[in-house]
Amino acid sequence: MSGVVLRNVSKRFGAVQALDGVSLEVAPGELVALLGPSGCGKTTLLRSVAGLERPEQGQILVGDRDVTLAPTRERPIGMVFQSYALFPNMTVRENIAFPLMVRKRPRAQIERRVAELIELVHLHEQADRYPHQISGGQQQRAALARALAPDPEVLLLDEPLSALDALVRARLRDEIRRIQQAVKTTAIYVTHDQAEAMAIADRVAVMNQGRVEQLAPPIEIYEAPSTRFSAAFVGSRNALELPVQDGQVRLGSAFSVAAPAGSRAVLAFFRPEDVELRLEPGGHPARVEAKTFHGSVTRLHLTTEADGRTARLYTDLPSRQALSLETGSDVWIRVDPATVRVFPLEK
Amino acid sequence: MSAHRASASRRLLLPPLGQLILFGALAIYLLLPVLAVLLYSLATVWRAHILPDGYTLKHWTNGLDDPRLVAAFLRSVGLGLAVVIVDIAFVVPAAYWARVRNPRIRMLTELAAAIPFALPFIVIAFAILQLVGKVAPHLLGTPWLLLFGHAAIAFPFLYWAVDGAMAAADIARLSEAAETCGAAPLAIIRHVVLPNITSGIATGGILVFATSFGEFALAQILVGARFETVPLWSVDALGATQGKFNELAVITFVTFVVLFVISAAAVYWNRAQTIRLLPGARAMEGK
Repeated sequence: MSGVVLRNVSKRFGAVQALDGVSLEVAPGELVALLGPSGCGKTTLLRSVAGLERPEQGQILVGDRDVTLAPTRERPIGMVFQSYALFPNMTVRENIAFPLMVRKRPRAQIERRVAELIELVHLHEQADRYPHQISGGQQQRAALARALAPDPEVLLLDEPLSALDALVRARLRDEIRRIQQAVKTTAIYVTHDQAEAMAIADRVAVMNQGRVEQLAPPIEIYEAPSTRFSAAFVGSRNALELPVQDGQVRLGSAFSVAAPAGSRAVLAFFRPEDVELRLEPGGHPARVEAKTFHGSVTRLHLTTEADGRTARLYTDLPSRQALSLETGSDVWIRVDPATVRVFPLEK
Repeated sequence: MSAHRASASRRLLLPPLGQLILFGALAIYLLLPVLAVLLYSLATVWRAHILPDGYTLKHWTNGLDDPRLVAAFLRSVGLGLAVVIVDIAFVVPAAYWARVRNPRIRMLTELAAAIPFALPFIVIAFAILQLVGKVAPHLLGTPWLLLFGHAAIAFPFLYWAVDGAMAAADIARLSEAAETCGAAPLAIIRHVVLPNITSGIATGGILVFATSFGEFALAQILVGARFETVPLWSVDALGATQGKFNELAVITFVTFVVLFVISAAAVYWNRAQTIRLLPGARAMEGK
């Protein structure tokens, strides 16, 4: 089992800086999710580790071995593609055997290993079918088994679930995690879906404009985003633009936190579950503008006046409690200052 | 009317009767000339009536007994096959390279594929003659020159068919997947690329064969009577003092049957994959 180290990796496509000096260490056996919007460089980073893109600068190591210039076929990797890229002319069994066949392994060994993998991904019944004869989820598992066949040191997954519907997606996500831990391989997982990244990864690398903005365990990314981009991209959050007065940022009497030195205005983020809602006076007054029913919780959209300006925010309430609240009701809010993150506005 | 036919006709936006008439008209349009050629090859005399005055197998026995005609036919078949092999050997790797490895050379390959259609074959023939006369005069008049000439003018058919099949099968992605599986370039071409573009190779190969088989200008100018192909024999037969029109009908019909059988065989072998000349045709598979 080896880790992956990227040092100062840069890659440019024409005028676009896809990777801008990325450094990243993935520990042996760890699953790191690369999370970010499309165009943030996460797929380019993954393809650079695979050798499908050649970075102009920097160094890529798998274990102790420098693979920066090694051709793809000599790298100890397995890769799962967004569209699975199973070979349509081969059955599931032949697809899984392919990496072993091209490595000229003895036939008996190939058969044993393929049977093992079919067991691992539960594809007994589909083993002798062609890719177009099985479902998307089954194709995905076949692609995973093929990637794992040669026992790669690093498993690379490029948005492996994005072509599936929501139900299958959640199940397969857990399945991928189970398998990754069972075979104890290091893995890099590209996704634009933050819930997916949070659920599957040991650590999440939030990427933006070719850079890693924050690399931390999911709970830390969620609780303590270190950059404005992480805060805005990860988790659903209230984002309010607030002025700085006497070194403090306030939303009326709802909260007051220290402002970053030298800033004149900030963007304040706080999560809806950190908004404390009261039906009697206490805290800062607000008004229920709209309600949306989400099953167990109901999301309340609130408006409030602070320093002569109107601010909009939202909070989630258990649906039974929200029943009594009509649109237009007066409520009072308070936010624990420890849960508010502020970032200076570049103005 | 069964529900199945009703839905089929709705898809075509034509009532079944309209379909039938259209299909019949098309069939007549396509088959009538072939039928006329067959009748003519079997006719004693065919002058004033809608059908021949009498029938005979004489022209068939004459034609098949004529060593010159048989030799021309065999030459044309051999030449056609050789041209197909040369084109496959050059075009498939080139198309793969242009599509997967270096998309920037696509402009060049597309341009090269347009040239045979932009220039009359006669011009191409004389250009080849001029060039070869300067660089390799010993090739002049040999069948080799004709082989490579035909390969040069017919390759676009194969290129387009193969390129379309590569797009439809997303060969670029499959090729990357094979690389991450540890496969070397030759193994990728053999196990992943070729098996997934056979329909394109078959379709393109048939068109290349047909182009070579029926080509006159290059054959006439580059080799002439030294390597008589079917089109050269045909022109000679037409110009002879006692025009061998009936034998011409025999060879025309035989040519048609040969090409038809090859095409039908190619379609039959590929019916599991469908002829996927157009990107997106894959979506129809397996339904």
